[in-house]
Amino acid sequence: MSFLQLILAELKAILADKTIVLTVFGGVLFYAILYPLPYLNQVPTDQQLVVVDHDNSSLSRQLIRHADASAKIKVIAKLGSIDEAKSWIETGRAHGLLVIPADFRRDLILGRGVTLSYGGDASYFLIYSAVAEGLIAAGLDAGKNIQRLGLLAQGSGAQAADRSLDVVKLNSIPAFNPSLGYTPYIVPGLFLLILHQTLLIGTSILGASQWQQAGYWQQVSPLKLICGRMAAFMVIYSLLTSFYVGYCYYWYDVSLQASFSQVALLLLPFLLATTAAGIAFSSLFTRRDLPTQVLLLISMPILFVSGFVWPTALIPESVVAVSQVFPAVPGIMAMLELNQMGASWQSIMPQWLQLWAMVAIYFTFAYWGTKRRLTTVIDD
Amino acid sequence: MTMLKRELAALMDDPWQLALISYIPLLSIIGLWLLFSAGLPRQLPVAVVDLDQSQVSRALARQLQANPVTKPISYTDLASAVEAMQQADVYALLVLPHGFKRDLLTGESPTIDIRYNSQFLLVGKLLSSQLQASMADGLKPLAAIKQLAAGVPKAKVAVNLSPVSSQTTALFNRNNNYVGFLVPPVLIALLQLVAMMVFANSLNRELRWNTTSEWMALGVWKGIAAKMLFYTPLVLLHGGFILALIYLYLGLPIEGSIALLLVAQLIMLLAVWLMVLLIFFALKDSARVISFCTAMFAPAFAFMGVTFPTHEMPELAQWWRVIMPTSHYIETHVAIVSYGQGWLATLPQVASYWGYLLLLIPISFLAKKGFESTDDIAIATTQEES
Repeated sequence: MSFLQLILAELKAILADKTIVLTVFGGVLFYAILYPLPYLNQVPTDQQLVVVDHDNSSLSRQLIRHADASAKIKVIAKLGSIDEAKSWIETGRAHGLLVIPADFRRDLILGRGVTLSYGGDASYFLIYSAVAEGLIAAGLDAGKNIQRLGLLAQGSGAQAADRSLDVVKLNSIPAFNPSLGYTPYIVPGLFLLILHQTLLIGTSILGASQWQQAGYWQQVSPLKLICGRMAAFMVIYSLLTSFYVGYCYYWYDVSLQASFSQVALLLLPFLLATTAAGIAFSSLFTRRDLPTQVLLLISMPILFVSGFVWPTALIPESVVAVSQVFPAVPGIMAMLELNQMGASWQSIMPQWLQLWAMVAIYFTFAYWGTKRRLTTVIDD
Repeated sequence: MTMLKRELAALMDDPWQLALISYIPLLSIIGLWLLFSAGLPRQLPVAVVDLDQSQVSRALARQLQANPVTKPISYTDLASAVEAMQQADVYALLVLPHGFKRDLLTGESPTIDIRYNSQFLLVGKLLSSQLQASMADGLKPLAAIKQLAAGVPKAKVAVNLSPVSSQTTALFNRNNNYVGFLVPPVLIALLQLVAMMVFANSLNRELRWNTTSEWMALGVWKGIAAKMLFYTPLVLLHGGFILALIYLYLGLPIEGSIALLLVAQLIMLLAVWLMVLLIFFALKDSARVISFCTAMFAPAFAFMGVTFPTHEMPELAQWWRVIMPTSHYIETHVAIVSYGQGWLATLPQVASYWGYLLLLIPISFLAKKGFESTDDIAIATTQEES
């Protein structure tokens, strides 16, 4: 059997297995739509807010209008008491409240300090921070206006007043993901993980269903079989990866900074290491329904340990060390640094070399495992 | 009773299934908790480029040292700081410009540049607000001295500086703990996966050993009921372990009762069972049932609406969300844990599961129709297995 024939036989075996087709092609296409679906609106806006206004002055009403004008907040009702506001939040009708104290306007004009109280439901962090940001901005604006009026009344010039209000300008700007959107944040890492998991599942199901049967895989040496299998999966996955990294990244507004050749060079060891790991993993199983279950259980931990959801600095070192055995962990980080954060090629060299080391190690494991599986069958 | 014994024998015979209801969930639960065990983000590295090297700029840099969230790391030039940022060695970058002190003294307003890594959204947003707060605090003494020098009485200085102070209170989850916010939904998603796999394996076993007729001997519903009766308490035990870990061992605040949470979990599990049953009777192939269930349940976490608000999701995502039992459960969970919701108020939420009862119709239809051809399929699968 020539090498080319072997690759064709592998491809045929993959495409003939409905479960693999369902996982590899179905899974990759289905998840490309389903996973980013909840995040399509990118940024939480118009969070429902209730106001308890004990002042009822022109200034407090202006403050409410300003808060309402903030893109992050929508004032849905004015209520009489804090208790009432709390019950609105508990029943889910509102997500935050603003309390304006009595004599708000009078105290400000007299030059006494006043305190505005905001409350938000911190069971949902993103909503909480959106409400808090919007309200603090509105509150600061109202305060500045009063300060400015005061300064002008005391006789300082308009320009000088502005200047003494802003002693220092804080210019805080997001780098890398300028829109602060949710899909550019979640998609690049998550999609690599989907490729990683489906590739592992595909190779292990194929292996697990073949070991105990007779077929073309026994007519070739283990080394040749592994090479052929890796080539076949690389053909399929170079297409699927191109679809993800080439098209889906673009479609979901992910910021792209690396060149095509750099991304391709990075993904090559990532896919090779994953395929080899999958083949090595498959030699542990003879039941077709098991590999999927094992891989499903580890997918959530891999996502969280890869470092973009929860900072690596806060994860216990032992957990981080264990996680380095998955090609996805260095793969995702290298991809984010190279393509989304615009790092130079030199700076991702450690991860790149780590991926190549994984290729070598998993290839050895795969050879060893496959050889054992194939010889035991012959013994039977 | 004999049916339950039969399930027990089947369980003992299957090492993977045994692992799946004993140590695997425990290990995963503890592993995931370890991941987030830091709870509050602390000591996040921030690059500080001090181009001024004056007393004021150093005081501001020390201000960052005092903030528990940030850990300033000094860089002498901008280029190396940018590189560290691109390699995710630091999560934010703060530049104090040249001539900062001079500008302050001469009444110009200098600009402090802050760049934060928003590719890591959660960390980036947190750092942005913390850095701004630190800087504002650090600059206040300077402004106060300026005011005093201009002859403002001391009592008025504080008010002049910030006439409107704001008090932001987190109503529930008071100390903004990430363990309280992220870990319960993550673990519930895990519980749903384990429940799905356990039940699907138990059903698949009948196909694998070609014992469907034996299983169905007492009627379809009795066979199904036996499996439900057997596995529900086992999986619920893990649910109870999760709750005990979070609310008893770690002592996170909980307003309502844990017993009520367990009841809510029980109902969620029943919903999961019904979905798995439908998929099983529709596909009738062990590997395909697992693959299909995996595809359905794996993204459940994203749809719970804890990380990203539910009402901001597009229509289609809302629909998919309704299919997932966990998203029904998590609403009850948050209501009970945060708002201390009682038994009566929980009832209408339980009623939101009614849609799952509709699954009984296709299940009974497929179950009746399916098992005439069981033998062929069973033989086909055993061939595949052997």
